[in-house]
Amino acid sequence: MTNQPAGRRQILVAYVLLAPALLLVLGVLAYPLGWEVWISLTNFSSRAEGAPVFVGLANYRRLLDDPDFWRALATTVAYFAVTTMAKLALGVGLALLLARPGRGRALVFLAVFLPWAYPGGVTVVAWYWMLNPPLITSYSVAMGSLKHAVDGLWGAGAYAFASVALFNIWRGGSFTAVFLLAALNAIPTELFEYARLETKNAWQRFREVTLPLLRPYMALAVFLSFTTAFADLANVWMLTGGRVIFPVLGTQAYWLGIRDGQFAEAAVRSLSLVPLLVLALMLLFRWFDPPREKPA
Amino acid sequence: MAQVLMKDLNKKYDEVHAVKDVNLHIRDKEFIVLVGPSGCGKSTTLRMVAGLEEITSGEISIGDRIVNDLPPKDRDIAMVFQNYALYPHMTVYDNMAFGLKMRKFPKPEIQKRVQDAAEILGIQELLKRKPRQLSGGQRQRVAVGRAIVRHPQVFLFDEPLSNLDAKLRVQMRVELKRLHDRLETTAIYVTHDQVEAMTLGDRVVVMRDGWIQQVGEPLELYSKPANKFVAGFIGSPAMNFADVTIADANGVVWAETPGLRVRVPPACLERLRPYKGQHITLGIRPEDLHLAGGADPSEYTFDSTVEVVEPLGSEILLDIKTGPNMMVARVDPTVRVKVHESIRLALNPERLHFFDMKTEAAI
Repeated sequence: MTNQPAGRRQILVAYVLLAPALLLVLGVLAYPLGWEVWISLTNFSSRAEGAPVFVGLANYRRLLDDPDFWRALATTVAYFAVTTMAKLALGVGLALLLARPGRGRALVFLAVFLPWAYPGGVTVVAWYWMLNPPLITSYSVAMGSLKHAVDGLWGAGAYAFASVALFNIWRGGSFTAVFLLAALNAIPTELFEYARLETKNAWQRFREVTLPLLRPYMALAVFLSFTTAFADLANVWMLTGGRVIFPVLGTQAYWLGIRDGQFAEAAVRSLSLVPLLVLALMLLFRWFDPPREKPA
Repeated sequence: MAQVLMKDLNKKYDEVHAVKDVNLHIRDKEFIVLVGPSGCGKSTTLRMVAGLEEITSGEISIGDRIVNDLPPKDRDIAMVFQNYALYPHMTVYDNMAFGLKMRKFPKPEIQKRVQDAAEILGIQELLKRKPRQLSGGQRQRVAVGRAIVRHPQVFLFDEPLSNLDAKLRVQMRVELKRLHDRLETTAIYVTHDQVEAMTLGDRVVVMRDGWIQQVGEPLELYSKPANKFVAGFIGSPAMNFADVTIADANGVVWAETPGLRVRVPPACLERLRPYKGQHITLGIRPEDLHLAGGADPSEYTFDSTVEVVEPLGSEILLDIKTGPNMMVARVDPTVRVKVHESIRLALNPERLHFFDMKTEAAI
């Protein structure tokens, strides 16, 4: 049997087989993205009269002058940084705990796994009621004072920020723990056994062996953390009682676009995140997946 | 003095009694091999010496110290794993230097030791590379180098050659032996491969089901196995066994079974006397069988049919059938026999082995 070049019919079949996936990608990703980029360069709005007019980069220029944008950006970055660090710490700690065999391990695993496994739309209601109790009881009075104290200490909106962050950490930490536990199990045991032979205590082992070995997986966990920080709307919706007043870029875009009909402005805000994300991705990949050198 | 003493060593995992009453005295500078089939307890024993497994009962001492309660780091041992256990995120140099770095050795000392070890193993060029860029053999050398730099009292090898292809294994075997001659450090080596055990060990310890079956120099195990298991485990192809009855016929004692009737050599008579009329196991190695010629006394010959001919180039293995018994004979490469041919084989009477049917101990 010789290798024949693919006949025309075979190429056609190949395209037909690719078509569904291609249509999906184009229809659901590429087209909307392209359209969004287009409208960000116009004055498309439900308030404007007539057809949308091409305005070039004017929207973007106006964005840079908007103090609300910078505030939202700062909050977004702060939110991301705080939640990611907390999730990593929690995740690593819990994963290490779960990695060693022990009695009752199954129960602990369940406790760690549930926050993420359980539907977020339900648990977020529980958190909302915990942090903003709807009924007047002595508990709600106490929470009210707490909210006042927090807002008084760190400024208005601090309590809301803390609530949203807390829920994100609770849920994301659970996911990170399970994810890193899988990572620990993927690492060959001999690597840890050798560490036991050469290091003097668990802390040295953790610092010199476990952390470096987990680095690629932690980088991936950080990347996954991006998505919740920038794209979690249901979370913010519930925790702020449907008012979605949390000042991150995503919710700003939501207000401008969905609530207010200013599609161009909304698009601009959404897209402003793209360079940030691309930069972060590049850094992450360099850190955990450096270019491969050829084998000997 | 880096002798290793194991006294009444036992290891139990819940229900499983993995290591049973192991008593072993390993001499300073000795290269001792623990060999046996999977699950025999050899790796568990090694890991107890390393400190990776808790000792259920018994004592291990390295040098003059009892190490039962000493953490692995303080036992002055260095281990080479089957899967090399090299850290993928570190260079070869850093991998080799790891143990020394953890023990806070000064940099110049680390550098000197790593360079020396690299030279001995021929891996100086590889020091800046990462493990994923190395071949299996190179990785294994790095793993060995990592142990050498520690200048330990005892080297522990856990099946280090098992992951290499056959040709490389043979090559590395020789290198390890040379290395041991050069470094003159006590070494405990675990393997399931009896060829490795025979070629590398000053002494070999055969284990089975947690028990030590026999300890001795390789040739001693080969020529004087203590029981049927050791006899069948050491030597390849394995020793042939046949279930025979000891019968006395007019003062001449025979070992017989359908298809096989050979005389019991006078030298064995005394030992076999209590077994007259009973069943015992007869053992003869393939290399101690040859095509019967005129000079072979007939009482040590028997007829057989050739079932398979395996020409190896340096020798020919004949799978033969005599009565209900299948045997393997190792003959000269010049022998010309055909399948289904009837041939007469002669055995070397000095190399006959007998084993008690119940205890399997050598008679």
